[in-house]
Amino acid sequence: MSDFEGGPANDDELSLPRATVYKLIGEMLPSDITCAKDTRDLLIDCCNEFIHLIASESNEICEKEAKKTIAAEHVLQALKELGFEKYVGEVQEAYEEHRVQQSKDRGRKSSKMKNHGMSEEELLRSQELLFAQARMRFQQQQQPAAGADAAGQ
Amino acid sequence: MVTFESHSQPGVSTLPAARVRRIIKEDKDIFACGADSIFLVSRATEYFIDSLVREGYEFARFDKRKTVQYKDMAKAVQSIEQYDFLSDIIPPTVTLKKTSAAADKDSNE
Repeated sequence: MSDFEGGPANDDELSLPRATVYKLIGEMLPSDITCAKDTRDLLIDCCNEFIHLIASESNEICEKEAKKTIAAEHVLQALKELGFEKYVGEVQEAYEEHRVQQSKDRGRKSSKMKNHGMSEEELLRSQELLFAQARMRFQQQQQPAAGADAAGQ
Repeated sequence: MVTFESHSQPGVSTLPAARVRRIIKEDKDIFACGADSIFLVSRATEYFIDSLVREGYEFARFDKRKTVQYKDMAKAVQSIEQYDFLSDIIPPTVTLKKTSAAADKDSNE
C-alpha cells in the first residue's frame, strides 16, 4: 500500500466515486495509454473543485436574479462566465435530451395503469381470469402424463 | 476542444446525481439547486474531466510516455487560463535538483 494517499485528507469530505471517475478516465484515453494512480486521484480532486466553482458561480448569478434555487440557465451562464463556453453547446444539447427523457419517464409511469380504460369490476374480472389461467397452467404442470396424452390425440 | 461523446447517452450522466448534489450543497451559501441544474453540473464536469485528461495526455505524448503523470497535469493547469482555479490543487512540480538543493541549504543553516 503506497504512503501517498492522494485522496481527501478528511473522511467526511465528499467526493465523486473513485471507480466511476477511473472508468471515465479510461474511456477518455486511447487504449494503450494509462494514467498513474495518484494522477487519477488528483483528477477526482480537480472535479470536486470544478463542481464547487461552477456551483458557486451559478449561485451568484442566481442571487443576482433574486432567485433562491439555482436553475439550468444559471449554470449555463456560469460556464460562460468562467471561460468554459466550449462546453455550453454540448451541455445544452444534453439538457434537451435529459428533459425529453424525464418527460418520457413521467409519462410511462403515470400512464401504465391509467390508460387501461377499465372499470373496477372489469379490473377485478380480468384479475380473476389471470388467476384462473395461472391455476390451469399449474395443474397442467402437475399432470404431465395426462397433458401429454391429451396433446397426442 | 470537446471530444468526449463515446460512451455517454445524451440525457444521462455517468456521475451519480445524489453525490453531485451533496458536493454542491457543501457550499453553505447555496440555498437550493434544481434537479436540472444538478444534471448540467454533472455533464459539465464530465466534459471538464475529458478536457483535462486530454490536455495532460498531450504533455505525456510530447515526452513520448504512455503513462499520464502528475507533472503532465501540472503543466496542463499552468498552460490554460481557465484552469487557474486548480493551481492550489496541482501546484507546479519542482524538480528534484531544486528540492534537494533547498534541503541542503536548510540543513546547512
